Amino acid sequence: MERGVSELAQLACKARKYLVLMAGYDPGMHLGSSLSVIEIVTALYGTGRVKFNVANGAHNRNYFVLSKGHAVHAIYALAAAMGYLSIDELRETGSLGSRLQNHPEVDTPFVDVPNSGSLGQGISMAVGLALGLRLRGEPGRVYLVTGDGELDEGQSWESFAVAAHYGLNNLVTIVDLNGVQLDGHCEEVLRKGDLAARFRSLGFEVFEINGHDIGQIVETLEKAEKSARPPVIIAKTIRGRGVPPIEDTAKQRLSRDDALKYAGNIC
Amino acid sequence: MLDLEGLTPREALGRALADLGDLRKDVVVLVADTGETTRARFFAERHPERFFNVGIAEQSLVGIAAGLALAGFMPYALTFAAFMTRAWEQARNSVDRLALPVRLVGTHAGFADAYDGPSHQALEDIAIFRVLPNFTVLVPADSCEVYRAVTASATVKGPVYIRVGRDFHIPTTCDMYDKFEVGRAYVAVEGKDVAIFTTGVTLPFAIEAAQLLRDRGISAAVVHFPTVKPLDYAAVEKYAAATGAVLTVEEHMVHGGFGSAVAEHLSQTRPTKMAIMGLKSYGRTAKSPQELYQYYGLTPENIAARAEELVRLR
Repeated sequence: MERGVSELAQLACKARKYLVLMAGYDPGMHLGSSLSVIEIVTALYGTGRVKFNVANGAHNRNYFVLSKGHAVHAIYALAAAMGYLSIDELRETGSLGSRLQNHPEVDTPFVDVPNSGSLGQGISMAVGLALGLRLRGEPGRVYLVTGDGELDEGQSWESFAVAAHYGLNNLVTIVDLNGVQLDGHCEEVLRKGDLAARFRSLGFEVFEINGHDIGQIVETLEKAEKSARPPVIIAKTIRGRGVPPIEDTAKQRLSRDDALKYAGNIC
Repeated sequence: MLDLEGLTPREALGRALADLGDLRKDVVVLVADTGETTRARFFAERHPERFFNVGIAEQSLVGIAAGLALAGFMPYALTFAAFMTRAWEQARNSVDRLALPVRLVGTHAGFADAYDGPSHQALEDIAIFRVLPNFTVLVPADSCEVYRAVTASATVKGPVYIRVGRDFHIPTTCDMYDKFEVGRAYVAVEGKDVAIFTTGVTLPFAIEAAQLLRDRGISAAVVHFPTVKPLDYAAVEKYAAATGAVLTVEEHMVHGGFGSAVAEHLSQTRPTKMAIMGLKSYGRTAKSPQELYQYYGLTPENIAARAEELVRLR
């Protein structure tokens, strides 16, 4: 299932539209965080690197760990855009009876590494998983997406050091660098320093890209997958992209009316 | 037969892991710069490819163990119990909520690390791991039981916390029973006036207390619970019913630990006159764990005195 860049861009656009619509039904979702990561998620699923219909218990595959688990709606939206979920089910996101919960949970569909909502923990699990796959002799990779705010957690760097020390080049880390966290802009809340330098000094191969340019994401993934060292793709993004009132802000929510209004302007 | 009595508890732990590694290829061992101090080195020497040191980083230790479990392995993650408690939220969110077969082994628990003082003496670990729904909690008494408990832990489906000391132990269980069963209590002494329930290294103190009580004409039963969770409820009820007075003893805080587990159950099934012996404050630096048992009153004499008091009040 090879998709060209323009087809992927269309998918991402459709998923972005669904995300904004969902915000009208699920006031608990983190819209801004999901919007910033949608092209990255689309590049991973849309190229078939990771799949929505994974066989339970099988280890001969690639894994996806969304460590910034609050952006799980990006996965739901893309699943709907690719035909794995109905719009009716999307509308139920976050409801008590829905399997589409607001963080990746044990019974959440499509999520093969759940419970990544508590920040930093998905990173450690991804490192353990990559270590385990290598120990099993499996050729599969672990794609890890983390937020920049998440990198405040000491646990993140504890485990990145392990990835570097053990030379885990089967772990492809992507930082969704949107520059905003709960309390505001990262620069004001807690400065991250030179992230590229931090990763490089540990022994990572660093790629810096525009995280909304899907062609660039796919191209960089191909390079990162050939890296001899653990690769990290630092993807500059805009939180809330596509919805002007929340773009580059800490705001995550929209009213039903605004959701319908802005969804209409996408694609 | 292995010379388990002659080993220290941490050596028995290292030996058990190394032997388990021979039997099971899915066993991997992780340490947080504690390969030597926990004696996980014994495993590393025999199975170097399945041994990982993640550095002085307990949260990462637990999270990476969870990832290895997702890849189909049965990880044993070892560090000092006091520092394992630092990764409680990781144990909750990355391990327990997924019910992964991760085994967290907290060594130097209780007063075992007398030298390093209260920062290194875990007296809360039973409480905080017991509260997690899927965790099994094992608290062996001596080296024989450490070996058997670690070996038996491999049969548990979900996550396990195993509490181990350092070098101090009084060999007691080696000939007490043949087979360690997770969830089962073992009767060390039969008695009818009062039941002393114990877990971990305080078992020999309780047995000595029962002897002191016998000299005073009081018949005390001593029941040993190397599994704190799931608790052997049948044994709890049986001895509570037979004696009408239950004293629990543990090298742990009196709040939330083994005694609390017994009290929680009895209060709802068979309210029984009870006392809980343990600690109510942090430890201190000392030259040996024995000095601390004396200082904090975890002694056969004190256990006997509390048991006698219970019998009088019954």
